[in-house]
Amino acid sequence: MRLIIREDPKTVGDYIANYICRRINDFAPTPSRPFVLGLPTGSSPIPTYKALIAMIKEKKLSFQNVVTFNMDEYVGLPRDHSESYHTFMFREFFSHIDIPPSQVNILDGNAEDLIAECNNYEQRIKEFGGIELFLGGIGEDGHIAFNEPGSSLASRTRIKTLAYDTILANARFFNNDISAVPRMALTVGVATVLDAREVVVVVTGQRKALALSKAIEEGVNHLWTLSALQMHPWALIVADEDATAELHVKTVKYFKSIERVQDEVERTQAELKARGKKAEEQVASVN
Amino acid sequence: MTSPNGLVCFTNCLLPQEDGSLIKKDLWVDETCGLILDAQKTFYNRRDRPSTVIDLGGNILSPGLLDIQINGAYGFDFSIYEDNDEAYHQGMQMIAERIVETGVTSILPTIITQEKAKYPKLLNLLKPFSTPTSATLLGWHAEGPFIDYDKRGAHRPGYLLPAVDGFKSFEEAYGSENLVDTEDWVMTGDQNPAVRLITAAPEIPGVMDALDELTKKGIAFSIGHSAAHTEIATQAVLRGARLITHLFNAMPQLHHRDPSIIGLLGASPHLSAPIINDDSRYPDTPSTSGLEAVTPNETPKSDSPDSSQSSPTRNGSPLKDNRIRLNIPVRKESRPSLHLDKGQVADMAFDRPFYGLIVDGIHVHPNSVRLAYSSHPEGCILITDAQKILDPHLKDGVHEWRDGKRFVKDGDRLFIEGTNTLAGSVVTLDTCVRNFSRFTGCSLGEAIKCATYNPAKCLGIEDTKGTLRSGAHADLVVMDKQGVILSTWIKGKKVWPGVEVIST
Repeated sequence: MRLIIREDPKTVGDYIANYICRRINDFAPTPSRPFVLGLPTGSSPIPTYKALIAMIKEKKLSFQNVVTFNMDEYVGLPRDHSESYHTFMFREFFSHIDIPPSQVNILDGNAEDLIAECNNYEQRIKEFGGIELFLGGIGEDGHIAFNEPGSSLASRTRIKTLAYDTILANARFFNNDISAVPRMALTVGVATVLDAREVVVVVTGQRKALALSKAIEEGVNHLWTLSALQMHPWALIVADEDATAELHVKTVKYFKSIERVQDEVERTQAELKARGKKAEEQVASVN
Repeated sequence: MTSPNGLVCFTNCLLPQEDGSLIKKDLWVDETCGLILDAQKTFYNRRDRPSTVIDLGGNILSPGLLDIQINGAYGFDFSIYEDNDEAYHQGMQMIAERIVETGVTSILPTIITQEKAKYPKLLNLLKPFSTPTSATLLGWHAEGPFIDYDKRGAHRPGYLLPAVDGFKSFEEAYGSENLVDTEDWVMTGDQNPAVRLITAAPEIPGVMDALDELTKKGIAFSIGHSAAHTEIATQAVLRGARLITHLFNAMPQLHHRDPSIIGLLGASPHLSAPIINDDSRYPDTPSTSGLEAVTPNETPKSDSPDSSQSSPTRNGSPLKDNRIRLNIPVRKESRPSLHLDKGQVADMAFDRPFYGLIVDGIHVHPNSVRLAYSSHPEGCILITDAQKILDPHLKDGVHEWRDGKRFVKDGDRLFIEGTNTLAGSVVTLDTCVRNFSRFTGCSLGEAIKCATYNPAKCLGIEDTKGTLRSGAHADLVVMDKQGVILSTWIKGKKVWPGVEVIST
C-alpha cells in the first residue's frame, strides 16, 4: 500500500486527478477495450472531480471510452431527489464531462427486485472484465462504500442497512429529519472493491484521521472496513495533512520515503519503456 | 444551427432562478420539440446527452422576456382593424417576428378602449399565435371599455361603458364567443398557452358582479383606469382580481387615510377582510371551468420513481393542457394575527395582487418604483405599455397615431401632440429591466424575474413561459451582465441576431 500526503483537499484532488488521467491515457482505451473506473460520492472526491473536469475541458483527457461503476445508491429515494447519488454524480461530474450516458452504471435503488439488481451489477462488472481502478472515499467510521462497520470483508454487491452514525450524519441533507433519511442502500461489497486491479482512496479532513489510523496502522478488522485494503496488491491512499493527525510520526515518515522511492522506480521504468526494453505492462507498486 | 441529435447544451452561463438569484449551471434544450429538458432525466433515462454544446462566455441565459401590456410596435397598432383580416394577421406576425430583438419572446397584445362593435372581431383575431421564429402572442389584454371616466387617460371618453348587466354586459361588448371557457376558445392542437386579460374599474356598475364569472372562465382581471377606494379595490381582489394595471397611473394617488388601489401593495393582515367562506362560488370542477385551484405556495413535487422513467419530451409536449390556472384566494390558517415568529407575517385573507409598472423613468418616478417593489417584490411585473411607434430604431419627432391624433416622441417620452398627456410609452422591455435594476438597486436576476417569472405566474402560464422549468418552451434570451441583449432564441433556435454565436 502507498500513502501519499498532500497539503489540503485541493492538492489531494489535483494529485488523484493527475494520477487517474495518466492511468487512463496510458491505458489508451478504445470502444472495444474501455477503461473501467469505479467512482464514489460524498464530499471527499469533489476536488478530484473538479480537477478531472478541468482536464477534460482542456482536452487532456477524455471519458469517451471510459465505463464507470458507482459504489452505491440509496434504496427508495427517487432518482431525481436532490440527495440521490444519481443526482450527485450528474451534478458534480457527469454533466460536465464527455462520457456517453450509456457507459454510466449506478445501482438502481428503486428496482423492484433489489437482490437481482445487485447480482446483475456484479455480472455487468464481470462482463467488462472487472474494474481497472476503483476510486473511493471513507466515512468517519472507516467504511468504504456503504460497507459499514461489521460488514463482511468478503462481501459483494448487496442491500445494506445504514449504521445509525451514517443516518445521523446524513440527516443534515434531509432537513435534519432523521425519519426522512433512507435506512437502506445498495452498495458494492468490500470484495467487489478489492477485486479491482487498483484501488485509490481519498481521505481528507481531521474527522477522518482516526479512521485512517485504524485502516493502516492496525490489523485488518471488519469494524474499520477500509483496513481490508491492506490485503490489496495495488492500493493507494491519498490524504491531506489534517487526515494524518492520528498517525504516528514514524508512519508518516515511512510513507513519505516510499513516495520518493516510487517516483524513482517509475522514472526508471519509463526510461526503459522509452528505450523499448520494457513491455506494455503496468508499473507495479514497490510495496 | 442544428444539433445532430437535436439536443443542445448551453454552458458557461448564469441561469436566473425563480427566486431572483443567478446560478452558474448548464441548460439543456431539445431544439426538435422546442422545449427545455430535465438534463438529469435525459442523461439517465433517455441515455442521451446534447451533441452540441454552446459556450455562452459567462453571460446570462434568461427565459425570454414577457410583456403583458403592449399596444403595438413597429408601426402596427393592435387596436386598429381596417376590415382586413389578412392585413391584421400580417401586423401580428410582423410584431411577433421583430420584437425578439428586444429580448421579448411573449407578448399580450393590448387593446385600448374601442367602439363597441369592433371588439368581437378584434378579440377573435387575437387568438394565440406564433411562428417558428417569432415571439408568441399569448391572446389579448382588453383595456376598457369598462373603465372610469375620471381616470380614462388617453382612452376615448365616448366609447366608455358601464356593465349594468354584469357579465352579460361584458359578453355584449367583447362578443360572447370570446368569453367562453378557455378550452373552447383556443384552437385545438396549439401548444401555446392561451391568455385573456381584462382591465376594468371595479367601481363601474356591474363590473364587480362580473368578476366571478370571468374568473371561472379562466379570464384574468386587472384593476385599472379606476378611482376605486380601498374598500372596493380590496373587494375586487377578494373576488378574483389578480393584477393592477400600470400602477400609479390612471388611479387615485396614495392617500394615507384611503390608500385605494396602490394601498393594496401594503394590504394589512389586520384590515383585509376575511374571505367569504363560500365554496359554491368557486366550484371545484377544473375540467369544466378551465380553472384549477392552486394553493399559493404549491411547488411542483418531485416525480415518483416510477414516473421518472418517462422522458419529458417523449411525447413531444407534455403540456397539452393550455388552460390557464388562476390562483383562487385560499385563507391560510397557520399563523394568527398575533404571533411570535420574527420576520414572518400573519396570515392574510388574500394574496396581494400583481402590479404592472412602466419602468421608463417617466410614467413612474424611480423612487415610486422602488417604493412599490420594496413593499411587494413578489407581485412586481415590468410592462412597456408601448404604443405602435415602439421601435428601437425610431428617431424622435412627431408621428401619426389614430383618430387624427399624433404622437410626439422625445427620447422615451411620448405625448399626445399639443397636450402634456402621456400616451403610453416607447420604451423597450429590455431597457425596463436595466432601468428597474438601477431604480431599485436590485440585482439583475431579480429584475429579470419581474419580466419573466412574475408575469407568467400572474397569468398562470409559468409551466410553459417565463421560466427555465423542464417542459417549458425553450424561449430564451442571452444578455450580458449589464442586461444588454446579445441573442434571442425561440423554441431552442436562435432567431436574433442572424449571425451565429460561439459554438463548439
